[in-house]
Amino acid sequence: MHVNYWNELKKDNMGRKGLYMMGVLAVVAVGAAWLAPHDPFAYVAEPLSSPSWSHLLGTNEVGQDVFSELLYGARTTLMVGTLSALFATLISLCIGLIAGIFRGWAERLILRLVDVMLVIPIFLVVLLVAAYVQPGEITLIALFSLLFWPPGARIIWAQVLTLRGQGHIAAARHFGAGNSYVAARHLVPELYPLLAVNFVQMVRRAVFMEAGMAFLGIFDPTQKSWGLMLHYAREFMFTEAWLWWLLPPALAISFTIIAFALVGYALESALDPRLRRPTYAGD
Amino acid sequence: MLEISDLTVKVPTAHGNLPVLNGVNLSVKKGEIWGIVGESGSGKSTLALTVMGMSAGIVTGSVKFRGEELLHKSSREWEKVRGSSISMVRQQSGEMLTPMIPLIDQVMEPSLKELPYQKEEAYQRAARLLSRVGLGESFFYRYPFTLSGGEVQKALLAMALVTDPELLILDEPVSSLDALTKSEILDLLEELSDERTVLVISHDLSTVARLASETAVLYCGSILEKAPTSSCLQTPLHPYTRSLVRAYPTLDGPRELQGIRGEFPSLSERPGGCPFHPRCTQSLEVCAREHPQSAPAEVNSGWFLSCHRGGVIELLRGRGLTQRYSLNGLNGVPGSSGSSYLEAVSGVNVSLREGEVYALVGESGSGKSTLGRILAGVDPPFRGEVFFQGTELRRFKGRAKKELSRDLQMLFQNAGEALSHRLTVSELVAEPLIIQKIGDEQSRREAVCRSLEWVELPTNDHFLNEYPHHLSGGELQRVALARALVLEPRLLIADEPSASLDASVQAKVIKLLLHLQNERGFALFLITHDLALAARAGDRIGVMQAGRIVEEATPSRIIHHPGHPYTQSLLSSGFTLFNF
Repeated sequence: MHVNYWNELKKDNMGRKGLYMMGVLAVVAVGAAWLAPHDPFAYVAEPLSSPSWSHLLGTNEVGQDVFSELLYGARTTLMVGTLSALFATLISLCIGLIAGIFRGWAERLILRLVDVMLVIPIFLVVLLVAAYVQPGEITLIALFSLLFWPPGARIIWAQVLTLRGQGHIAAARHFGAGNSYVAARHLVPELYPLLAVNFVQMVRRAVFMEAGMAFLGIFDPTQKSWGLMLHYAREFMFTEAWLWWLLPPALAISFTIIAFALVGYALESALDPRLRRPTYAGD
Repeated sequence: MLEISDLTVKVPTAHGNLPVLNGVNLSVKKGEIWGIVGESGSGKSTLALTVMGMSAGIVTGSVKFRGEELLHKSSREWEKVRGSSISMVRQQSGEMLTPMIPLIDQVMEPSLKELPYQKEEAYQRAARLLSRVGLGESFFYRYPFTLSGGEVQKALLAMALVTDPELLILDEPVSSLDALTKSEILDLLEELSDERTVLVISHDLSTVARLASETAVLYCGSILEKAPTSSCLQTPLHPYTRSLVRAYPTLDGPRELQGIRGEFPSLSERPGGCPFHPRCTQSLEVCAREHPQSAPAEVNSGWFLSCHRGGVIELLRGRGLTQRYSLNGLNGVPGSSGSSYLEAVSGVNVSLREGEVYALVGESGSGKSTLGRILAGVDPPFRGEVFFQGTELRRFKGRAKKELSRDLQMLFQNAGEALSHRLTVSELVAEPLIIQKIGDEQSRREAVCRSLEWVELPTNDHFLNEYPHHLSGGELQRVALARALVLEPRLLIADEPSASLDASVQAKVIKLLLHLQNERGFALFLITHDLALAARAGDRIGVMQAGRIVEEATPSRIIHHPGHPYTQSLLSSGFTLFNF
């Protein structure tokens, strides 16, 4: 009972590393404007120039500084990732609570909907929808939020069913508490750890998918994004430019996904004492 | 024989004429023995003195003796009545004997007054009576100061009987005597009062229980209950009578004694309306306004009550309660039907009166908790009905349902689980108030502190901001109790409130529950597996076995005369610290 999840997370080796990595990402994303040596949208040098002291990672095919692009790309990636995950988690929470509290036909309807949504290939749906609509950050965030909620909703529903039988919730009901009180005061606090895990996983998913979409060219070309960088760099694979143009965004994407994955695993094991073990072999 | 109607006696004081007796009605038939009980100051002795014509107050109403109005008599005529038909043994009566005159002379005095010249006859008569009360010849010429209290009492009895009165009034005849002497005098009184009409006045219930066939309960000059003694003392209907019985120590059972809450009002502070209403736990607004009329409790029962609420009210009644748990599928959802099921509670009838402690005992798995949950309205029964103050629980909907939980509270079995580990003590205890939207921040905090004080927990900021996992089991249990009490419920259903506590904390929690029950008048449905505890706390004990209440009786009956074999086996496996 009463586990301090933050401490658990900090104590966990993987969790700590993940947190450091997330910290670096956050600093980069927030401080991009100050850290970047050049305006990533300005044509500052010869196109496709090699790395130099003024352009650490050289320039792209139109002469923009790749290093600055990379820093600004962190912003887009993290924004899409966190906002999609936030909205998706909120939707999961609401729908999970409704199913778990009201039971009956609402529960049956929601669970069937979850079943249906889980078998939809999300990547294809996003691809098709985003290709029709002007694909930008907002579109992607909306699409991800609307498509990512089902697994979280199912987990939360199951947890609410467990919680609602517990003594303190039965006691609150007995004092005359209504659904909204029980949900706000008793259920949601108990769900925090679950929500955190869900959030982190959703960020990971959204980052990955955003990169994939941008790589396929389904993203607003005027924005800076790691996926877009990959998209443009791919055409210059035959030159040496991939080394400083293609590889860094790919590594940045991996770095981000690993950071969230590490935190996610650590949170999950903190949440479930049965998962607390020294190594994570096989995960 | 003695007909007292609407008798009011007022005494002049600095605050004006204050009523000591207020509209007393009493009808004593020939040969009846009436007991008049009440706390000190309730007007018992004034009643006796008024009948004797010796009251110092302003008397109105009527006292008829053999159809003859006594109140209009002159003092000379009264003396005649006293000399021949009515005698009285008075309270603290040692002072009634003149120290310097031998005993037999004092006993002879009344008959000599009647017939002055027949000294020999008077002597014979006095000697006979003294021997009859157990004072032999050796006592005849003793001086009163050489006699013990019991002997004085016997002498006075002889003196009262010397005129062969038809009506004998005994005012606290044995109050100051030790148990053996008391019992001796009571035996004597029982014997002597055989063919007489007697009024026994006492605050001592056992005296009245022993002697009187009828009992009237007097409080602040008003008769609150009149009934045959045995029923009146065993199942008192008036809240005052019940409190009086609860305060009385007996050897019948191990029940804790409970004083009556509040203070006996002094003469100048007599409350209006029903005189008992400030101390009564079920008083309504009408009780403070109107003096209740005496009315028969049941038709033709000879049982009269003066209570606006018709005596102690029934709070909770369960009728034909049955609960089933399905054994196949549905994970034991209460009330689900299936081909194979477990009947955890079957056809239980139970009722709980205001301010009563009902202790339900039985082994684990006998259905106690299930019954408790049904009665609290936590789970609906599979069959049967639960009425709270006459309304079926399922008929409480919406707002009424929310308000019901102010009156009907449940203390859940496992305090650690019933308290959310995410809330602090003050948040936990305030939770019912917040849910019920009672008061503001400040008043809630006060209520929380008051409730914590009831359960003897600290109310400092440190404790208020503790989380449950920092508290001990006993503290948790008391926090849960404070939370259940913060709404000041009428009825608390406590499921094993002390099962996980050590004996010392358990004793505290149980004492506290009983104290609150007495102070707040709330009824307690105590579920426990511990018969010893049930016997200490309960007014009634229900023994539950396999979903049925197999025996229901007072603790003393259960302990001394267990009827059901299961009760007997529970008793024989009960705990004792001493092996004889």
